Amino acid sequence: MNYNILSYLIYGCIMVYIIYKVGLICYHNGNIFVLHLMPTNAQLCLYINNILLTGYYLVNIGYAVYSISTWNTVKNSYNIIDTIASHIGSIVLILAVLHYMNIIVLQLFFTSQKQHI
Amino acid sequence: METSKIIIGYFIYLPVIILLTFFVSKTLFKNGRIFMIEIFKGREEIALSTNRLFEVGFYLLNLGFGLSILRIESYHFDETYQELIEVLSTKIGGFSIYLGVMLFLNLFLFLRGRKKSKSTIIQRVQGPTVTQ
Repeated sequence: MNYNILSYLIYGCIMVYIIYKVGLICYHNGNIFVLHLMPTNAQLCLYINNILLTGYYLVNIGYAVYSISTWNTVKNSYNIIDTIASHIGSIVLILAVLHYMNIIVLQLFFTSQKQHI
Repeated sequence: METSKIIIGYFIYLPVIILLTFFVSKTLFKNGRIFMIEIFKGREEIALSTNRLFEVGFYLLNLGFGLSILRIESYHFDETYQELIEVLSTKIGGFSIYLGVMLFLNLFLFLRGRKKSKSTIIQRVQGPTVTQ
């Protein structure tokens, strides 16, 4: 079997697992956060959160699949590990930056709303 | 057999960074819960969920950085155990220094949040007296 195809398979499995798990954790904890933002309208909160989750899945899976096209050829067995690790590392770093930006934006909303009250 | 020392290096490096990140974040966020409860003035639900969100961010940032510096270049590497130990010490030492900086950054964030939440209480108490 070609080394490239093998590493695509491993990469796909790990990426789907990470994206799914992180999305689930953010969905459950973000629900409490958004509910705190507008405590009067629980239905709208759930709606906003669902849209956020869908957007997150679309962006991430899209980018993870798209970045397969930029891979070099994998030559030998230890190359599998380092290629997969560097690609997963860069995507996870982007994920982390997006996550912190999300927290900051929600916090800004939260403080500005408090000042209005 | 020619490539085996690089693979040994990867299999030492990966568990070390995962365990380091795990223990540091466990220590930080076990104690960060108390900070968060104080920042959100005892509203435990939102404090715990904020703590969890920060924990996820910490894991993502550090594991992502650790994985992206994993590669050992094969053409500088002359297949001796001495070289392997030197390369691994550079990578693991660099990673743990980075982890320490991140730890202090997070602690600074907690302390700043605590200070800010205290100052808003003072503003609220003083606010009506100033306007009257």
